[in-house]
Amino acid sequence: MDYEPISVALKFAFLAVLYLFLLWIANSARKDLKRNRGGDADGDATLGAMPAGGYDAWLVVVRGGGIEAGTRFDVFGGVTLGRSADADVAFTDRYASGLHARLYPRGDRYFLEDMNSTNGTLLDGAACNSEVEVRDGSMIEIGDTAFRFELDRP
Amino acid sequence: MSASRNRELLALVPVALLLTLGFAAVFAQNDNQLTNLSLSYGLYFLAICLATHIYIRIRLPDADPYLFPMIALLTAIGLVMLYRLDSETGNELARDQANWFVFGLILFAVVIHFLRDYSVLERYRYTIALVGIALLMAPRLPFIGAQVNGAYLGVKLGPIAFQPAELAKLCIVVFLASYLREHRELLVVGARRILGVTLPPLKHLGPLLVVWGAAMFMLIVIRDLGSSLMFFAAFLALIYVATGRLSFVFIGMAMFLAGAWVIYQTVPHVTDRVDIWLDPYQDPGGAGYQVLQSMFAMADGGLFGEGFAQSMVLIPGTDSPLLPAAQTDLIYTLITAELGLFGACGVIGIYLLVAARGFKVALMANDGFSKLLATGLTTVFAFQAFVIIGGVTRVIPLTGVTLPLVSYGGSSILANFILLALLLLVSDRARREAREGV
Repeated sequence: MDYEPISVALKFAFLAVLYLFLLWIANSARKDLKRNRGGDADGDATLGAMPAGGYDAWLVVVRGGGIEAGTRFDVFGGVTLGRSADADVAFTDRYASGLHARLYPRGDRYFLEDMNSTNGTLLDGAACNSEVEVRDGSMIEIGDTAFRFELDRP
Repeated sequence: MSASRNRELLALVPVALLLTLGFAAVFAQNDNQLTNLSLSYGLYFLAICLATHIYIRIRLPDADPYLFPMIALLTAIGLVMLYRLDSETGNELARDQANWFVFGLILFAVVIHFLRDYSVLERYRYTIALVGIALLMAPRLPFIGAQVNGAYLGVKLGPIAFQPAELAKLCIVVFLASYLREHRELLVVGARRILGVTLPPLKHLGPLLVVWGAAMFMLIVIRDLGSSLMFFAAFLALIYVATGRLSFVFIGMAMFLAGAWVIYQTVPHVTDRVDIWLDPYQDPGGAGYQVLQSMFAMADGGLFGEGFAQSMVLIPGTDSPLLPAAQTDLIYTLITAELGLFGACGVIGIYLLVAARGFKVALMANDGFSKLLATGLTTVFAFQAFVIIGGVTRVIPLTGVTLPLVSYGGSSILANFILLALLLLVSDRARREAREGV
């Protein structure tokens, strides 16, 4: 029996299965993207070509904190604010707790959460109890220190 | 979300089928018979993959469903190609590789078991960085170091030989991810624009210069352009993700090119490699032999290839290789020769999809370290494939890195399964948090 045709057939079968497999995976990856784009609140994959931190956002020092006003802190994948050196945004304020509050992105929005601080956190003048969404231009006040939040959403 | 686990299970079936088809084709060609041995090999492979799948189902129920099947597919293609080489050279590389595959999966399970909370890696980052540097330096140490073709990549400890660079790449990515997570602000705050280019503040250029220095140092000490390119590319990708500044990437690339040019002029081994790349015909029987044979073999493949086990790997009538190092450096050439342009593009397609899934993991992750870790691991994996595929196709100078998971090599398999474990850990956490709406 001549095996030549069989090995040729096996080679083409191999190529066909390989390509069908790749198409299937590429297709479900595409569907994944579409599903996430369709109004899902989390919208995790909608960032597309953005750097993985989501939209660029900053905390700008308005006053206090022992930091020159106008200093900008980049907010990337979430930052913690507080007096401790472990905080991502560390500042000196006698009313601030070690780890006072945290700011984190979810999808294309940013949220502020008070981390059980002694003296509380104000967002636009209102006490921040659980997580609250912060918008472009929001004021975050901790003790005598104030930050302005800037969101660079296209 | 067992839907994604079910998809993973489903995806393993075509992978095992491909392995069976490949082995059947090699058997049919060599022994002129169709035995059901290929079917049993396929079933063994499926059984091992199923065991891993069940482990993932228990430990990481939310992890990305496609990464593991694609990694298994790359290993399967490697096994078929190595078995096909063994049939002519009489070695038993395929059996060794299959053992390494099982060891790799055991290590994969161990890493997932002990690093469930992978953020502990951040705490030990300086230790990890030191281990990485020690691993990179090891091949230059007396007694244990080994020089292969002028590059210092291997270490020999008695009977065990391994390539420490494979493990070092993981250490360095973990270190860079955690370092940049903490210091990214410093690079961005105080950046100024000069002539429309955003420059990082001078005093914070330090880390950039250190990594650049390390890449150049590697080029001089290890003399391997490929690994040094791979590390630096991972670093630039991380810097870009961490700061979102394209200018840093361009500055880094310019620095790398400038440094590489100086080293090209001064280090003889690198000069030789680059000259052979530019003009392989200057020494067709010697230094240019490997890359020239690689190109001729690929040309023989045509669109659909010559078929499994039908290309020429030994000079007829002798035991000397027509394709030098076909089991490691030139395995991509072998795939192109036997499966043609379509088979080769398929293999590149697998790497592209792995990279796409990896970056998806990075996009979904919720904290900086996870994002940077997933980005770095994916980049280093994809770039390794680029460096060796680019090398054999003469896009860049040929260097001795392995084609991840396809090439023969225990350290490469082990390192890449650790890499997969870390990616799946990040993915599992990110997708669980997305599902629970954290």
